[in-house]
Amino acid sequence: MALIEMKNIKKDYVLGETIVHALRGIDLRIDKGEFAAIWGPSGSGKTTLLNLIGVIDEPSEGDIVIAGKHTLSLSDNQKSALRNESIGFIFQNFSLIPVLSAIENVMLPLQIKGESFSKTREKALIRLKEVGLGELVHKRPFKMSGGQQQRVAIARALVNDPYLVIADEPTANLDSENAHAIIDIMRELNEKDGITFIFSTHDQRLLDRVAHLLHLEDGRIADEETRR
Amino acid sequence: MIRWIKLAVRNIKRNKRRTIVTLLAIAVGFSAISLFYGYTVRIYWYLKEGAIRGESLGHLTIYKTGRLEKGKIDPEKFMFSQDEISKIVDCVTQEKGVILATPQIHVNGLVTNGTISTPFISQGIVPKDDKVIKGSWGRLRPVTGDKLNDRKPYGVEVAKDLAKLLNLEPGKDAVVMAPTLSGQINALDIQVAGVFDTGMAATNDKLMRLTFGFAQSLLDTKMADKVVVLLNDTGTTEKMRSSLLAKLTGAGVDAEIKTWDEISLYYARSKRLLDVILLFIFFIVFIIVAMSTVNTMGMVVLERTREIGILRALGLKQRGVLLLFTIEGGFLGILGSFAGIVIHLIVCTVLRIFSPTYIPPSGSTPVRLWVDFVPETLFILVAFMTLLSSITAIIAARRASRQNIVNALGHV
Repeated sequence: MALIEMKNIKKDYVLGETIVHALRGIDLRIDKGEFAAIWGPSGSGKTTLLNLIGVIDEPSEGDIVIAGKHTLSLSDNQKSALRNESIGFIFQNFSLIPVLSAIENVMLPLQIKGESFSKTREKALIRLKEVGLGELVHKRPFKMSGGQQQRVAIARALVNDPYLVIADEPTANLDSENAHAIIDIMRELNEKDGITFIFSTHDQRLLDRVAHLLHLEDGRIADEETRR
Repeated sequence: MIRWIKLAVRNIKRNKRRTIVTLLAIAVGFSAISLFYGYTVRIYWYLKEGAIRGESLGHLTIYKTGRLEKGKIDPEKFMFSQDEISKIVDCVTQEKGVILATPQIHVNGLVTNGTISTPFISQGIVPKDDKVIKGSWGRLRPVTGDKLNDRKPYGVEVAKDLAKLLNLEPGKDAVVMAPTLSGQINALDIQVAGVFDTGMAATNDKLMRLTFGFAQSLLDTKMADKVVVLLNDTGTTEKMRSSLLAKLTGAGVDAEIKTWDEISLYYARSKRLLDVILLFIFFIVFIIVAMSTVNTMGMVVLERTREIGILRALGLKQRGVLLLFTIEGGFLGILGSFAGIVIHLIVCTVLRIFSPTYIPPSGSTPVRLWVDFVPETLFILVAFMTLLSSITAIIAARRASRQNIVNALGHV
């Protein structure tokens, strides 16, 4: 069953008098429970594509359907609700809120949703333990290593039980050991909970372990490979 | 909501120096308004009591209709007869909330010590009633010598500069002259019972107080030009005017009633001046606080644009972002206001300990510099400052909340 369907997606940016064609007509289908990677050189449009899938940006042309919803027809509040309840984000530079502790960062999406404090805390604690940070729940981000911060970001992305997690180069700022650990966690969650993961990466270690590989070049899908 | 408050408080603590500067701007602005307001409240009280009690105006003054407009042309026509005075006093004193009603008569003339003559203005008053009207205010303006009393009707109180001019002191004799109501010149001997300070330079060289009977004799009349009414509660003045007027009209008395603040021009003008100054200060403080918080919140929003992007990506709605910054702005307002209250209390305490005095522009004696602590006004001011900071925070955050999420996330 298709979780994401994109038809003839184009995205242009206007930089002064120059128009940059970031995406030049993408047709894409990703099914529920996939572990998919988008790879390609810098400037090929990977992040732009992920932003569109994550409903934090809008295409210049084309149609995007996520879990049966045409995202272009959604209001800003509806898009916010969709992101909050169904999509988890893992950013390259962790993007944690510095004044909040690990557990408070993880609790954020549930708090935005309006869930009770006790329920929120309980769920956040479970997710933090899952990513191996049960002992560091009260630490602030600046007192944690890059790998630990990325795990907090993963826990935050998962706390709302989303059906889709989008990760923009999740291992780019990590050393080899931490990168492996993060890949293991993501793969395990994908296999165990059936969460769909879509991420952009240059990391060959990560590319070796994906089932659905999209090669992006110059704003187009140059190659698409599905492995068993 | 508590979680957002917690987040707001932590964000406020992020840049301590900037927060302290903003809080100081709010606190100083707050205390500037609250202290000046506290000062004006004390001045208004002083002027009000000075008019009602010091000038013996009471709360309400009953005149014959037309007295104030045409009384100077034909005074007798606009004065109350003895019967009317009795009727008014009976009628008014029956009303609940009225302490007393007493007749008075105004006299202008010349006073001489045999060598020097000078004009005077005076009120003929009933001494025992005036004692009630003065109340504790009398202690602020003590009389040197004896006070007026009915046992010695020719005894008068003379304002201090007038006494000095005529070389008069308690026990000394003089003569007063004034035209009677029929236009004849009348002269009567007086003896200075006491010397008093009116508190105002403008009246200290011409004011005298006569007993009501003596003033009537000088004007050769048995009439009074007004009846002064003292009430239990100044707050009921307006309401009481309406009810007394209805009652007097019902009793067939052709009268008009003026409130103390309508008669005391000095009070009205001083209040108007201080109100304008207060408004001016308020406006300046408003601008300073608004600009300070807009600047702070603008910098805060700019610095946290990326965080706004993260929160939006996590599903926080635009109004959620606004709420977050509104709470932060509100907190700055509350904390700054409380710091302002502390400054207010410190200044009040210092003034109470050192009791500095000053002579008002038209005054004759030093008065104590005093600032009142008015809790309800401070509460309103806290609410205003909080609202102001919150609104400025919204102004600053509005643009950021509407910003494209991808752009916000890419902000460095």
